[in-house]
Amino acid sequence: MKKTMIGIALATCGIFGLASATASADTSFPNNLRIVIGSKSTGGDTYQNTAIVAEALARKLGINVKVDAVGGSTAFNTISRVSNGSVIMMFHDQAYLGYLYGQKGYENPFEAYRIGPSVAINPGNAYLVSKNSPYKNVEELMTACAGGTDIRVAIQPGGVSEIGYSAMKNAIRIQHPGREGCLVAVNRGSQSDKNQAMFDGLADLINGSVQANEQYTRLPADDQKAMRFVWLTAGNATIQQANPEGMGETTREMLLQYVDPNVSVTQDGSRNFTFDKEFFFLFNKEMDQKLVDELDQALTEIFAEGQIQQTQKRSFFIPDFRPSAESEAYFRDKAAQYEVILKSLQ
Amino acid sequence: MEFLSALDLIYFVLVLSGTLIGIIFGAIPGMTATMAVAVCLPLTYALDLNHGLALLLGLYVGGISGGLVPAILLNIPGTPSSITTTFDGFPMTQKGEGERALKIGIVSSLFGGLFSAAVLFFFAPLLADFAIKFSFVEKFLIIFLALTVIASLSSNLLMGLFSALIGIWLSLIGTYSVEHGGNGDTRLMFGFMQEYLYDGFSLLPVLIGLFGVAHILEEAEKGIHEATKDMQLSLQKGARFSVGVFRNQKINLIRSSFLGTFIGLLPGVGGSAASVLSYTQEKNFSKHPERMGKGAPEGVIASEAANNGLTGGALIPLLSLGIPGDSTTAVLIGAFTLQGIQVGPLFIGENVATWNTMMVGLVAANFMMFLVMFFAIKYIAKVVMVPKYVLYPIIMMMCVVGAYAINYGVMFDVWTLLLFGVGGYLASKFGIEVAPLVIGFILGGQAEVYFVKSLESFGTLTIFFTKSPIAMVLWVFIFISIGFSIYQAVKARRLKQAGKGEEA
Repeated sequence: MKKTMIGIALATCGIFGLASATASADTSFPNNLRIVIGSKSTGGDTYQNTAIVAEALARKLGINVKVDAVGGSTAFNTISRVSNGSVIMMFHDQAYLGYLYGQKGYENPFEAYRIGPSVAINPGNAYLVSKNSPYKNVEELMTACAGGTDIRVAIQPGGVSEIGYSAMKNAIRIQHPGREGCLVAVNRGSQSDKNQAMFDGLADLINGSVQANEQYTRLPADDQKAMRFVWLTAGNATIQQANPEGMGETTREMLLQYVDPNVSVTQDGSRNFTFDKEFFFLFNKEMDQKLVDELDQALTEIFAEGQIQQTQKRSFFIPDFRPSAESEAYFRDKAAQYEVILKSLQ
Repeated sequence: MEFLSALDLIYFVLVLSGTLIGIIFGAIPGMTATMAVAVCLPLTYALDLNHGLALLLGLYVGGISGGLVPAILLNIPGTPSSITTTFDGFPMTQKGEGERALKIGIVSSLFGGLFSAAVLFFFAPLLADFAIKFSFVEKFLIIFLALTVIASLSSNLLMGLFSALIGIWLSLIGTYSVEHGGNGDTRLMFGFMQEYLYDGFSLLPVLIGLFGVAHILEEAEKGIHEATKDMQLSLQKGARFSVGVFRNQKINLIRSSFLGTFIGLLPGVGGSAASVLSYTQEKNFSKHPERMGKGAPEGVIASEAANNGLTGGALIPLLSLGIPGDSTTAVLIGAFTLQGIQVGPLFIGENVATWNTMMVGLVAANFMMFLVMFFAIKYIAKVVMVPKYVLYPIIMMMCVVGAYAINYGVMFDVWTLLLFGVGGYLASKFGIEVAPLVIGFILGGQAEVYFVKSLESFGTLTIFFTKSPIAMVLWVFIFISIGFSIYQAVKARRLKQAGKGEEA
């Protein structure tokens, strides 16, 4: 009841604009910090992850923090313009994958912006087939390609949704040279469109997520909508960190069946490809180092307290904190590895 | 009966607060139901799921319903889905029947809302299975069917079609979005515009500009006189509201509510198409189509029953497939994810208590919307009594604030508002018709995406005719709709000529 009353009070204050900034603690950030995100959806993982971090930051810094789902191009434009630290951005690997895939509106984030701390992994990036599909796993799908059969994959081109497809194509190129053309991309947008491609029989394999598609995997096989996971791109160690309950009725143990080494998509002939979708901050290039340090410090303390990790795991995120300097070096390396794969397919 | 424990007093207070705030958002030009839900979404973090949903469902129903107030009283659609409410609502206000029009709109909204809630409750999983039979081809044909309204809405057919083409052209400025599987290349603009027009013109500033600002400019042209009497619209000099107005409108009410619910359950087709489609069908089947657009209550009924019918409809794919049916439910899904709950095909069966609580909230929100609006209407309607020289600057300010806020503070949206305001004002001087232009603008983008995707998927134009029995049925509706429009145009011309003949 107390929680409800606080909620109502908050709602009333927020709506009528009465919420005044809490007395600022020792921070150089303005009283109202805005975090723009690279997605327009408030129902997606970027918003959800950012909301968790924003709440913790607001409490730690004693300031108001607001998350705005403005989408990639507006968010990048905004942080390019604002250097005083009143607006910062949260996004994920799409920030550099968009650039590597040559998507419009994406610049090299390592040159155009400053990379901030990383905060979480969404381990749910997945590939699924219809429950009635003749292909039981990734190996069978790749073998079909090797035999000259076209396998159609529904993805949203130009980023996170495509990287697993590119990795499979690369693996076919390495193991069955000349047959990578048999893995065919079906361009789709939203998850709804990708699902629909499967329902319509226009795709053999779709990109999805554990969160959005888990319930579909529990439908009976005679249901047109029934699906089956064949691959989670996340690393084995990442899934190991998830809560044992996993997502819905699919436990962590069940999810581990679909990751490396149980599923093998080779990256270079010697090791398997994995992809963790990681969330990190981006700042204006000129933002004061003092602000960057303060944010690093605040997040270090938040993660040291240990509460945020529980909230993240409850929402199927894996805690993944790295301070700015470490984060930038890490993502530069990660981007360089994927660049090799993409170049080899050109 | 586990869900009854969630239904405490606070629950209903939250539904009522949500409904009230939603109505205010809906009634302010430029503020929408989607915005209301988005603004309040972070607040649900402090509430549990049921209480959070109570607030958001109230906001959703209130926000969709509130749009009828400025549409009827000021000729400004408060939300995109209340465009067709302006067609007959505002002429009714001009005839001194503003209060009556509002009451008709509110009763229709209640009917539409309850109809769709009932459909949601009894048929959600069944209809979700039906919805997935609509691929890009069928969705394109639905949009095409809605576009046929242009023929029957135009006062001059050729000019109407030309105006619609301009609307479609304007909707294509920007990019074929990467989110729709496009390449994200900008088009129909010069290089220096890319920064502003990457996402194209925003819908709401365009709408408010064309309807609100253009109307204010027209009024300004007429000039402001000292004698305030002429500047006010009398509130209730025309016919008074009575339930009798619905006596011959049962079919219209049911058909429009059904169409609203049906369009709502198709993800990606959108709310505006629902009211546009219902309005066209009412016009096509009306015994007196010539009255439509000149203050006919049946126009308001069709539009409002449809846009509230959308609420329950759009929740069907959300709760049965995990896919939002419209832009507001796309925000609503955040309430679930913020609480760590995933919606999907098994959601209802596994969360019966939450599902029942939501249904109570949805029905309660509809009744509360009705009570709040119906009894407040005589005060709300007094807005037309405010002298225009006071009212219009306030509206103008609200329009600018709304346009600025719609995308979280983009100044170009304010320029869009003013550009389309001046453009709309000038366009009417050249005989360009605003209603077909707006409908072209709203539906053009979707029509393109579904058309391209249909071709991408099937590679042949004949697929539009042969894809499925549903596609064939839709073609029959399209031909009937066009046929009716032509028949009515010919009939109207004959009547006019006969009238002239008699006069001679």
